Amino acid sequence: MSQPELLEQIRATRLPASPELRGRVLALASAVPAAPPRRRWPARRTALVLVPAAVVIAVVGALVAGLADSGRKRSVESAQAPRPLARDAATTQEKTHGAAAESVPASAGRAQRYESELTLKVASLSSATKRALQLTRSYRGYVRSVDYGSGTARGSADLVVRVPVGRVQAALVSFSALGEIVAQHTSIEDVQPAVDRRFRQLQAIRDRIAKLQAQLEDPALASDARRTLENRLVAERRRLVVLRRVQAALLRQVSLATVSLSLRSAAPAVAAPRRPGRIERALDRSGSILVGELQVAVYVLIVGAPLLVLLALVLAAARTWRRSAEARLLSR
Amino acid sequence: MGVLAEVPSFESVVERHLDDVHGYLVYLTRDRAVAEDLTAETFERALRHWRRFDPRRGSARTWLLNLARSTALDHFRAEERRRRRESAYALERREHEDGVFGGLSPALERALAELSAGEREVIALRVLLDLDGEAAARVLGISVTACSTRLSRALKKLEERMSADVAA
Repeated sequence: MSQPELLEQIRATRLPASPELRGRVLALASAVPAAPPRRRWPARRTALVLVPAAVVIAVVGALVAGLADSGRKRSVESAQAPRPLARDAATTQEKTHGAAAESVPASAGRAQRYESELTLKVASLSSATKRALQLTRSYRGYVRSVDYGSGTARGSADLVVRVPVGRVQAALVSFSALGEIVAQHTSIEDVQPAVDRRFRQLQAIRDRIAKLQAQLEDPALASDARRTLENRLVAERRRLVVLRRVQAALLRQVSLATVSLSLRSAAPAVAAPRRPGRIERALDRSGSILVGELQVAVYVLIVGAPLLVLLALVLAAARTWRRSAEARLLSR
Repeated sequence: MGVLAEVPSFESVVERHLDDVHGYLVYLTRDRAVAEDLTAETFERALRHWRRFDPRRGSARTWLLNLARSTALDHFRAEERRRRRESAYALERREHEDGVFGGLSPALERALAELSAGEREVIALRVLLDLDGEAAARVLGISVTACSTRLSRALKKLEERMSADVAA
């Protein structure tokens, strides 16, 4: 029998279900009302809807957040914006620049070595230097050194001035008004323990001198002993003088604060960057948010990809195993 | 609602495809009694899972045949476990009863019975039920090409068995 004949014979046969089976199944179908099929979304179609929807949400969210932030950012910017340099006299700058140096006050009643360094960017180097000298004098201080250099595109002046400690704070505030503060450094060294120690030494010497003088007033004192006491008195008086000088020098030193002023002329006029408009800021912010979202997506992809590959391998292995098991079952 | 309107009622599906499912299971199991039980079980499953049926993914017949195959495989697995427990697989092999495949010549009946379940299955799907290659492949869970190859081998084997039977 040829293959077409075999096929024809097989096709011609019918294997109808027995009436009992038909009755059983129909009874089953009619006894329990079958729930209507659920409307299902195929995974591919769902992905086709969800992925663009997620992208649209991400973009719209970034735009809305960017737009909302752009308004807020403006107020923050205005609060943080550096104050512009005044162009003319230092007196004008003093009025314009309210950003005073944050001077650390010296503790009242204590001997402290106060040193401060202040670097300022000034509009006019010459005017600012003159004004700094005037201010130093007005605070009853003096100029220890001045190093003034100009003529280049970026001139500079380095001043070291000494101002009474009690006025150093006010002086620093005035100095800082000469321009824009670039850097500031203040150091305070407390020398009160040394002063106290020296004071106690002076007192001890004075006591010893008084004692020696009292001993020397005794008329019954032997000549050798008197000479020894007199020598000791002379030595003590010398020590007293030296110690007094040292103490006075230290107190004089700490009564004046040292302020190192470094004035830098501003860079050649550079066109100030144009303040972007709200739309521009919103777009910029939105771009940043989108970049952030993209970074998160890439991160998730990088972290999740190995897991997805692993899952795919497991699923493929399970499928292969299931198929081979089925093939084995059907091979009999 | 257009999609839902295209879904036939379960009763009409039973009426239309009961014989197909039954015939397929007869070919797969070589046993009418077992095929009847499995047919009933298949429709029970179909009723339970009727909400999952999606006509856009395939016809009701393909879906039912998939369920029938799954039911039959479960049956074979259970049988295999039972045989393993009883360690009497060799003795359990039933002799073929004539007339199982309904109206075929005795030689063709015997030849069909000597094929494996997998070979009979593909013949049932492609020849008896006249499923196209794609639908049959979907039921078998293989590619269309693999399905064609399997059918070709099964028919060749069937032809060889028939020739040997005639020669004998």
